Amino acid sequence: MSSKRISKELNDLRKDPITSFSAGPVGDDLFHWQASIMGPPDSPYAGGVFFLSIHFPTDYPFKPPKISFTTKIYHPNINANGNICLDILKDQWSPALTLSKVLLSICSLLTDANPDDPLVPEIAHIYKTDRSKYETTAREWTKKFAV
Amino acid sequence: MDQIISDASDFHDTQIPNISQLDALLRCHICKDFLKVPVLTPCGHTFCSICIREYINRQSKCPLCLNELRESMLRSEFLVNEIVQSFQSVRTKLLEVVKMPTISGSEDKSLIELGSDLESESGENIQSSKELESEEGDDDIQIVGTNQTKSTLRHNLRKTVSGPRINKSISSIESMFTKRQTNVRMAQCPICEDFYPIKTLERVHLDECLTLQSLGKKPVKRKASSTDTGLASKMTKAPSTSQKRMKSLTPPKDDNISHLERYVTSVVDTEHQRLPKLDFTAMSLSQIKQKLSALKLSTVGSKQDMIARYNHFELLWNSNFVDSMDPVSESELRRQLTSWEASNNSNNVNTNNNIGRLMMQTKKADTKTVEYNKLLKNFKNDKFSRTEWATLFNKEFKQLIKQARRNLEKDRQKLNDENDHEHGIEGLTEPSIENSSLFNKNETS
Repeated sequence: MSSKRISKELNDLRKDPITSFSAGPVGDDLFHWQASIMGPPDSPYAGGVFFLSIHFPTDYPFKPPKISFTTKIYHPNINANGNICLDILKDQWSPALTLSKVLLSICSLLTDANPDDPLVPEIAHIYKTDRSKYETTAREWTKKFAV
Repeated sequence: MDQIISDASDFHDTQIPNISQLDALLRCHICKDFLKVPVLTPCGHTFCSICIREYINRQSKCPLCLNELRESMLRSEFLVNEIVQSFQSVRTKLLEVVKMPTISGSEDKSLIELGSDLESESGENIQSSKELESEEGDDDIQIVGTNQTKSTLRHNLRKTVSGPRINKSISSIESMFTKRQTNVRMAQCPICEDFYPIKTLERVHLDECLTLQSLGKKPVKRKASSTDTGLASKMTKAPSTSQKRMKSLTPPKDDNISHLERYVTSVVDTEHQRLPKLDFTAMSLSQIKQKLSALKLSTVGSKQDMIARYNHFELLWNSNFVDSMDPVSESELRRQLTSWEASNNSNNVNTNNNIGRLMMQTKKADTKTVEYNKLLKNFKNDKFSRTEWATLFNKEFKQLIKQARRNLEKDRQKLNDENDHEHGIEGLTEPSIENSSLFNKNETS
């Protein structure tokens, strides 16, 4: 079932491409994808392109896909290994969700970080106390790693 | 990946893009395919029986609204089942029809609207000249008695779909009217603007037409009466509308009959009991084996394998006998289970490739299940055939031998019994096979 559903999602993405990201399998392996997300224009990541690596478990969609950033990014909910702290990728996952919905959620996480459930407490602290400093650093990192 | 994947968006670029909504609504939100044995949750959401049951085994909540959900709460939806199937049965044809590049909207109008006659008539005329395939064929059937020879091929094609039924209805209506109206004067109905014998118009048709219009329907049957008066030439435009109405009504009818009957006559299987979930933690290996053999399931493999086997069988069983309106036999379920296991194991072979050859050896055995099981049956008694086993696992054995030789060379200086000990550790997963291969190796070297 998983491979059928994954090919269906791929088909959907090809038919109705979404402007803010693109995604597709790496080589012939349907279970290993990569995606690129455009930094949302109303965020300090604007202008950057961020790469993500996606692994579908064999029991997808009953288990969430494993998604991590391969591009370095300065964000309270994304750590140095690229791991993402997002509820729908963990306990709030539902098989009714699709990869494209998850990627859209990641896009909106870039616009609106969630400092109350941080993966990197230091960045979350700066985000809360000195927003302009956070934005400057995020912009610098974007320029350095994602442009 | 090359298989054709049907999708709701197939309808986006057609004349009726909204069909894509209908298409999307008839799909399961877990597998994203058309609902198969749909079941309803108490929160009002519908999924495939297998999909939702498999999910509930992991999470007791509805995938859409996250409300609490248990298996016992699921109810099968025979109606939805039939709706999905009847939609699927017409889908390809429907897609073909609405995909036709016609003058925008004209066909829609004639199919959907009523009473907008002059407009739609002219539209049709343009259409029929431009789009011979669909329209001309219609006319042919419509003017049954007069014009039958025209474009016979297409005509026949269409006839197979809706022709006979129309002919039948027309002739029956003909017989109703022929007696009264041999040489009657015709008049146009102000509502539907079709032509009728004046008497019929005044006495029957006007009332009917008004009622039908108020109900949002169109008067369909009268048409036939006009054709048999010999005024067909005058009527050609009018008939084509009626024809189309007929057409729009008949194909679904064709499919509805069987699906409707199936729905009305559907009953729940009471012969088979729901299969219970088992708490395997408290069960011994022999108890699990007992449970499996009671269900005539194979008892090979590890405890883990057996538990997975039971759980998946329970899923198939309950989905089939509790939810489905036409359940398959138990033996078919067992076949499905075997193919599920086979595909599962072949997946494992791929993922475990790098873990080690020994793992692969045991997994590969599973892909050759039939032979393997046959041989394994006799494993514990004297009949066990070593040579057959050796040929079956020839490759694996050879690899093991190679591996062992490599190790032998490394440890040449060590004592012989120490060597044996080491290989023994390597072959932990299947000691009997391992030993036999080692013996072979020792003998050959």
